[in-house]
Amino acid sequence: MKIVKKVQAGTMQSSDLMVFVEPFDELSVEIESTVKKQFEHLIRAKLDAVLAAHGVTAGKIRVTDRGALDYAIEARLETALKRAGEE
Amino acid sequence: MVTELSCAPDLGKARAFIERNGLSFEEVWDDLVGIHEGDEVVAVGARAGNILKMLVVEPSRQNGTLLGELVTELVARGFTAGYDTLFVYTKPEYVVSFECLNFSLLANHERAALLEYGGGLERWLTSCLPLLRPGLNGAVVMNCNPFTLGHRHLVETAARQVDNLYLFVVREERSHFPFAVRFRLVKEGVRDIRNVILLDTSDYVVSSATFPSYFLKRDDPISRIQMELDLTLFAHRIAPFFRISQRFIGTEPCCSMTHSYNETMKRLLPHYGIGVVEVARKESADGVISASRVRDFLKSDDFASLEGHVPGTTLAYLRSVEAGPILEKLRKGE
Repeated sequence: MKIVKKVQAGTMQSSDLMVFVEPFDELSVEIESTVKKQFEHLIRAKLDAVLAAHGVTAGKIRVTDRGALDYAIEARLETALKRAGEE
Repeated sequence: MVTELSCAPDLGKARAFIERNGLSFEEVWDDLVGIHEGDEVVAVGARAGNILKMLVVEPSRQNGTLLGELVTELVARGFTAGYDTLFVYTKPEYVVSFECLNFSLLANHERAALLEYGGGLERWLTSCLPLLRPGLNGAVVMNCNPFTLGHRHLVETAARQVDNLYLFVVREERSHFPFAVRFRLVKEGVRDIRNVILLDTSDYVVSSATFPSYFLKRDDPISRIQMELDLTLFAHRIAPFFRISQRFIGTEPCCSMTHSYNETMKRLLPHYGIGVVEVARKESADGVISASRVRDFLKSDDFASLEGHVPGTTLAYLRSVEAGPILEKLRKGE
């Protein structure tokens, strides 16, 4: 899918994350997290998997995470992508 | 639930709530939101441009989720309005509360701290990586509203004393001449000085985030705190990145705000191993050269007096058709 809009999903509450998505000429994923030291690689792997599953090859993805679990990361990113793809 | 506060009764309650909790209510904002419980306001916060302000959570409720709810709403609204990075000033004891929300500390002071959300500083510094040079490096930060022979003298003098001189032009759009014009006139005016590296200050030196009262020309206790935060950020994060060991300034006989910024610099920066070098202001046949005098000449259409004050490149621009609307505004005192 193609990212055509600048959108956001999620919250700043504990165990949740904010996802910011906007159009960009390449794929860039930035991660900020209160548990970055321990889990950045796992968060990135999850984000990459969701992006791949949706066929996203370009876009600026920024997340700020507060210890969200896998399914929350997936749900928030998927919501953001669906919003970003709407014409 | 977070709601927008816009009707008069809500605003009245918000104001009373903010003032009861020791902050002052400022009339200017883009978004003002709050959380009610029954009829009572329990949390309020506002966004003005890229600054979050008037954030207050009822003291008895500060261990819960209210701050996160408020800030989520303000950050989402800020993002929609085009701001990827947002700043907040807070008391030092609340730094951790904001860090838990993924804000990062830019500068700390005994009475205030400045934090940002969105990682803008890291992104800006990373984008500056190609400009890094080894050697003895100096820095000048200038607004250049517009570029004068005084600015030229400071840059020339500074450039002779270092291997590389980083020339930061203030990016903030709070001056008579827009950033694009100020930047271009600096670029043209220093083109022949080979060791000058020209860049802008982004949001991180003398900006409405780091030092808002600079633009209000108000020299009061609040502006003192802001200038210390601005300089702490420079000393802590910016100078080490560019390996800057000298900051050059011009003597400031006129503006008391700039004068105290300079004095604060001399007091603070040496603690971080950064020397402050003050260069005597250049004088023309009719007194000191300053951008504010240049603007006065422009106000009175006195192009003859301009010549001893600005270089040919600036003069050519001021005489161009392009400068017309800006000069018109200046004359009208806008």
